[in-house]
Amino acid sequence: MNNSIISKLHGVLARGDFAVTSECGPPRGADPDVISRKSGLLKNCVDAVNVTDNQTAIVRMSSIAASAHLLQNGLEPVMQMVTRDRNRIALQSDIMGAYSLGIRNILCLTGDHQTFGSQPDALNVFDIDSIQLIRTLCEMRDKGRDMSGFDLKSPPRMFIGAAANPFADPFEFRIIRLSKKIEAGADFIQTQCVYNVERFREWMKTAHEEGLTEKAHILAGITPLKSAGMARYMADRVAGMDVPETIIKRMDGVPKNRAIEEGTRICLETIAALREIKGVHGIHIMAIEWEEKVAEIVGAAGLLPRPDIN
Amino acid sequence: MAKGITGIANPYTKGNCRNMKTNFKPRITLFQCCNILSKDAFCKLEKKIDFDLDVVELPCSSLVKDVFLLRAFESGSDAVVVLVCPEGTCRYVEGNIRAKKRVQWVKNLLDEIGLDGKRLSLFNVAHSDKEAAVKIIENTLSDLSDLGPSPARSVRETEAVEEKKV
Amino acid sequence: MIVGNQKSLAEIKEIVAPYKNLLILGCGTCVKTCFAGGEDEVATLSSALRLGFKKDGKEILIQELTIERQCEDEFIQEAAENINSNDAVLSLACGAGVQAIAKRFKSVPVMPGLNTTFIGILEKQGLFTEECVGCGDCRLAQFGSVCPIARCSKKLLNGPCGGSKNGSCEVDAETDCAWQLIIDRLKALGQLNNLKAYVQPKDWRSSNAGGPRKLVREDHII
Ligand code: SF4
Ligand code: SF4
Repeated sequence: MNNSIISKLHGVLARGDFAVTSECGPPRGADPDVISRKSGLLKNCVDAVNVTDNQTAIVRMSSIAASAHLLQNGLEPVMQMVTRDRNRIALQSDIMGAYSLGIRNILCLTGDHQTFGSQPDALNVFDIDSIQLIRTLCEMRDKGRDMSGFDLKSPPRMFIGAAANPFADPFEFRIIRLSKKIEAGADFIQTQCVYNVERFREWMKTAHEEGLTEKAHILAGITPLKSAGMARYMADRVAGMDVPETIIKRMDGVPKNRAIEEGTRICLETIAALREIKGVHGIHIMAIEWEEKVAEIVGAAGLLPRPDIN
Repeated sequence: MAKGITGIANPYTKGNCRNMKTNFKPRITLFQCCNILSKDAFCKLEKKIDFDLDVVELPCSSLVKDVFLLRAFESGSDAVVVLVCPEGTCRYVEGNIRAKKRVQWVKNLLDEIGLDGKRLSLFNVAHSDKEAAVKIIENTLSDLSDLGPSPARSVRETEAVEEKKV
Repeated sequence: MIVGNQKSLAEIKEIVAPYKNLLILGCGTCVKTCFAGGEDEVATLSSALRLGFKKDGKEILIQELTIERQCEDEFIQEAAENINSNDAVLSLACGAGVQAIAKRFKSVPVMPGLNTTFIGILEKQGLFTEECVGCGDCRLAQFGSVCPIARCSKKLLNGPCGGSKNGSCEVDAETDCAWQLIIDRLKALGQLNNLKAYVQPKDWRSSNAGGPRKLVREDHII
């Protein structure tokens, strides 16, 4: 990648500022006002906003369209793109289309399997995987070629992201996989939500030793807990999630009407701890359908105002 | 293993009113492991009650195949009973367990074709426990008085029996 | 082997309803091994159908026959007379067998009695597992002989995904995560380095995505 700044997020990270991103789920419907409302809640408190792509395989407004709406509302999108639903022809075409609309950040994912979603009866695609998608974007941007080797007149130039789950099995392989994503061309990594800071620290240490933190910016995932029930649900039901007993106990230990407060406290403590870890260049706050919470957390964590990049 | 009856029994309520749907002479096919009883164990019962009993002896209950059970119904049985050794006592280790699984499979098939899986049952009977075996057949006959003749027995066949009785 | 599962009796009854003289044709190779279409299953199905029809007061004449393989002319010919003398054939072979019969007997309706499910193995008594999807370009050597295309729910070539947990796939805790198996095996073989390199997107032309495939062996064509 040449040195010119591709996006605001890129600019923040390149300057060495601690980045803050958050998330916006497109509606299960065609109303752009939902995006405008969420934009209002997130404006000026984050550097960029991830727009999920039919998350958990539930049919929603497309991430390209929702990203374009965000742009119109003055926010910078990180367009998520899963390989579950589109083959390489559609993926490349959508990348070029997204770029033409002004979308500059992309997060490459394989996507949740459709059995969990609203259309378990669907045929999946999985023509390429997330790492191959990263490589595709990288070759488009840096070599100006599409997957077939065709020279593109105006190649899309995207700031390329990937996801990493430090807590999934097999643990020892997680670093190899991270390094494969970075080798393939990921500029930044957003991780699964961190509740187990110790285990995350260990993972970061290895990543650092492998020289990976020099090659890509790592943004640690954060999800504020609303209740003890939510903590337990995530611990037991959500694949690849590590919620330690101590966290569940803390949430259990407070009366129901103070649960949100305790969840916020845990969240802020986690952010503080993460900022101390070498190689963590930012946080990614996933407050699902709780966008109003983001400004509060970012403010309380002392991460406001957000840097001005132009 | 104590003497008595265990197995895939049928959950009918046994009333003493013989609420017969049709007056018919029931036919039962009995598959039994030769290690349990001799063939003539049911002589007395046959003299007491007017019904047909076909006994098929098998060297081991596991030799009962799906198709044998079905063919028994094809040849006019109203109920099919399989007697196997108590679990853990099969001479061939697990023959009776195989038989049990197969009977369950065929019960499902019978349900699927609307013949009522209840017409097929399997019981564990201890070696030479004649009393239990006779009781099983008696219960089956009583069940049949509620179930009526097998719907796969041709109508003519049942009518013929009725006519003879008249 | 090809693994298949018999259709429900209700569905079969519906398929064969228009015919009076029916041949139920079994296949003595793959589908026999998975208890779906061999001699025993032909006998059981025939008997169950006869009972079912009789119960409904309908008549059907069923002929039973099982040949060694329904995908080879040498064996198909053995069934020719039976096929021609019936109104229809219910084939208990895999989808290939059903079509082989249909292609060769143009005026006889041939219908499937099985759902052909996958290329698999008898993992243990009563348990069959899918192992291969016939992609036409076998990469098992690279992956420790665990196929990521057939056995990873997302066909990942650079796996595993973030959902792998305790050796199970995110899709279903009863399903092994193929990538855990790949990693375990390569580790045991001292070949874990195989996985460090980026694996290129697959060329799906060799698979069914390239259209129906044909294999020509010139040396066997006279
Ligand atoms: S790589 Fe292709 S041919 Fe080899 S086992 Fe997998 S699907 Fe079958
Ligand atoms: S959990 Fe394992 S098998 Fe399942 S989709 Fe992910 S990598 Fe593939």
